[in-house]
Amino acid sequence: MNSENILLKAEGIDKHFGITHAVDHVSLNISRGEIRALIGENGSGKSTFCQMLCGIYKKDSGTFTLDGQVMNVKNQVEANNMGVSIIVQEMGTLSGLSVAENIFLGHENPFMHRGIKNTRAMIHEAQRLLDEYGFKNIRAGSMIDNYKFEDRKLVEIVKATYMKPKILIVDETTTALSQHGRRELYNIMNAVRDDGRSVIFISHDLGEVLEHCDTISILRDGEYIDTVNASDVNEDDLKRLMVGRDIGSAYYRTDYGREISSEVVMSVRDVSVPGQIENISFDLHRGEILGFGGLSECGMHEVGKAVFGASWDRKGNVTLSYGVEINSIPQAIYHSVAYASKDRDNESIILNESIRNNIVLPSLNNLANKHILSRRKLNRFAKEFADKMQTKMQGIHQFVSDLSGGNKQKVVLARWLGKGSDILVLDSPTRGIDIKVKQAIYALMSELIAQGKSIIMISEEIPELLGMSDRILIMKDGKINGEFMRSESLNEEDLIAKMV
Amino acid sequence: MADKNENRISFFSSDTFKGLLPFVGLIVILVVMYYLTDGRIMQPKRLRLLLSQVYYPMIVAVGVFFVMTLGSIDFTEGSTLGVASIVISVLSFYSIPLAVIGGIVTGALIGAVNGFFHVKFKLQSFIVTICTMYLFRGVCAYLTTETAIPAGKALKALDSDNLKIAITLTVLIVAYFLFRFTRVGHDVKAIGSGETAARFSGVHTDRVKFLVFVAAGALTGLAAFVNVLKVGSITATAGNQLETQILVSLVLGGLPITGGAKVRFSNIIVGTLMYTILNNGLVMLGLESAAQQLIKGIVFLIFVALTIDRKALKVIK
Repeated sequence: MNSENILLKAEGIDKHFGITHAVDHVSLNISRGEIRALIGENGSGKSTFCQMLCGIYKKDSGTFTLDGQVMNVKNQVEANNMGVSIIVQEMGTLSGLSVAENIFLGHENPFMHRGIKNTRAMIHEAQRLLDEYGFKNIRAGSMIDNYKFEDRKLVEIVKATYMKPKILIVDETTTALSQHGRRELYNIMNAVRDDGRSVIFISHDLGEVLEHCDTISILRDGEYIDTVNASDVNEDDLKRLMVGRDIGSAYYRTDYGREISSEVVMSVRDVSVPGQIENISFDLHRGEILGFGGLSECGMHEVGKAVFGASWDRKGNVTLSYGVEINSIPQAIYHSVAYASKDRDNESIILNESIRNNIVLPSLNNLANKHILSRRKLNRFAKEFADKMQTKMQGIHQFVSDLSGGNKQKVVLARWLGKGSDILVLDSPTRGIDIKVKQAIYALMSELIAQGKSIIMISEEIPELLGMSDRILIMKDGKINGEFMRSESLNEEDLIAKMV
Repeated sequence: MADKNENRISFFSSDTFKGLLPFVGLIVILVVMYYLTDGRIMQPKRLRLLLSQVYYPMIVAVGVFFVMTLGSIDFTEGSTLGVASIVISVLSFYSIPLAVIGGIVTGALIGAVNGFFHVKFKLQSFIVTICTMYLFRGVCAYLTTETAIPAGKALKALDSDNLKIAITLTVLIVAYFLFRFTRVGHDVKAIGSGETAARFSGVHTDRVKFLVFVAAGALTGLAAFVNVLKVGSITATAGNQLETQILVSLVLGGLPITGGAKVRFSNIIVGTLMYTILNNGLVMLGLESAAQQLIKGIVFLIFVALTIDRKALKVIK
């Protein structure tokens, strides 16, 4: 690699959070015209590294040199101006502003004349950009709140790339996008590369990394491990590099041809939610994993809410084997139905509460003795199931907001294990979660079905659907569009064909 | 990952410090007032006077404590107290038990109106209770325009510290028990910390919110009885500004204004005592009422700034 070709040189980048050494003297170079993946488990320091590069965090020591210029940025706008921009994992647009105002946030000056904003010129320019990117359905003048999560993500992509950054950081953005959105993003990444600029791509999805990146840098516990060419490695090599040991092949289920019980534990008939799903009917059998797949707006996420009694305006029937109908959340929980939402932080757990109170909440009625709750019993209960899930915590009184994504999901599963639910509705159970925890969740799912419990797994990850489900229902435009049985010969294309 | 935050927090913004602050504040205010009044504030006669001012605000504060734990707010205590006091006074000529029940039911009905609009129409409690505050303040003024409404003699005869202490302690003990040893406390805190997640965990969020407002109203109705025992006749200004007094007391007691997981039951007791001591001390110092308000305002501001949980900061429901 000759020095002229180096676009970004990071030398001795270091960051402490208290006693945690988040990034430990990381040095690496990124060449012009490459897509560089940055991988590592949760807490390996990849996001922190990028957030220092784009001015969100201050680095303790080390230098970034971009195009021969030393970067000393204090905030994101300064980093933007030097040519570094970022697309983040979660919502990065601001509600209450128009699409155009979001795109030009922090860069309004070209539209200002003596302190007065020329709104028309701004909207016009924003629309020109949106059209150029091929997002013609998004109107620059309307409020961002009128658009769904995915479209808002596309607006963010425009915002991050319109000024042709030298380095574009994509931080776990794809987990929020459907197949269509992902393709748009990959196209933009390729365009950046073909233009001689570079992309830093952070993802937990190793298949995606191998397919779309040129080179891959691995971090582990804040330390730089290695950089490899994507063409020289496979997923197992990467897992080994990330974890530092062999992770084994027992990742997804390996059994095929398992008999599904004919016993129906839940039957769903003609369930509709206006504007979301239409006449959905299916049976869930005892001891099966029923996968739901589709594009992110296909309505599959609403199916999870509907069978849990959480939809606001649902028609149709959800009936359990013994004739009980599920129409509300408390009913669902009472009758042993559990639900883990895709929107983990808002719907699955109470962030500003302790691990203990989160775990005991659905089980309070079972734990009470004549309505009286004993602290000792609650503590023991919470500890038992948090430990069963091997939750990394300082104690059960620690607040959930302090935990990483993977550990939050462990708390979610711990509460339903504690409740002893027989039917688990898991929406995107491994979203934004690293390999080790993913492996633990898959192992737990296998264990649960072996005990005769049933799982509805809603997922945007096709390999996960193929790897874990006994049966897969693919949805399109709010309806079920195809059914597949578990089989070794089933592949991604079969499913995608029914999705689009 | 967890110790990342742990180590960045200085002692002065830690939860331990925030938990201790109200107790420290209570002692500081007590000591300061003791010196400023040359110990007069601790005279038995003064203490009895002080205590007599604690009963009914403390009963009201118990209800508001639950409302604020939800992350909501209630501005109707003053007007509820006024209307309930009128009902109690009128009924006290017929039967004392009827008067007590009448007061509680009146309060509960007003609470039900607040709860209904808050829950069914999804209006913020802030807006709803400001509207109903004016509404019932108006009712109270209308009923007392001609002349003050006296209470029956039989009621006046009941007035004793023992009765008032018994009522206040009963309320505190029952509320503490519900808050700490039943699912009521868990449900209310869960809604305050994250309503959506609480709903998805099987909490009957709408029902709990409605019932908390009803209970807060009923407790204010009970407090009205204690108030009528003391004052004997009701004028248009009965319970005036009570809502702000309760709000200030609870915040002084360390109740996070956002509600949720970090509320402590002790907030009620410490806060009400602190407010009453501060108030009495300022009166005893002979400060004019403008200066009293100024000082109360400053103390209030300092406490909010020190105790508020900025991480959970959001609009009050």
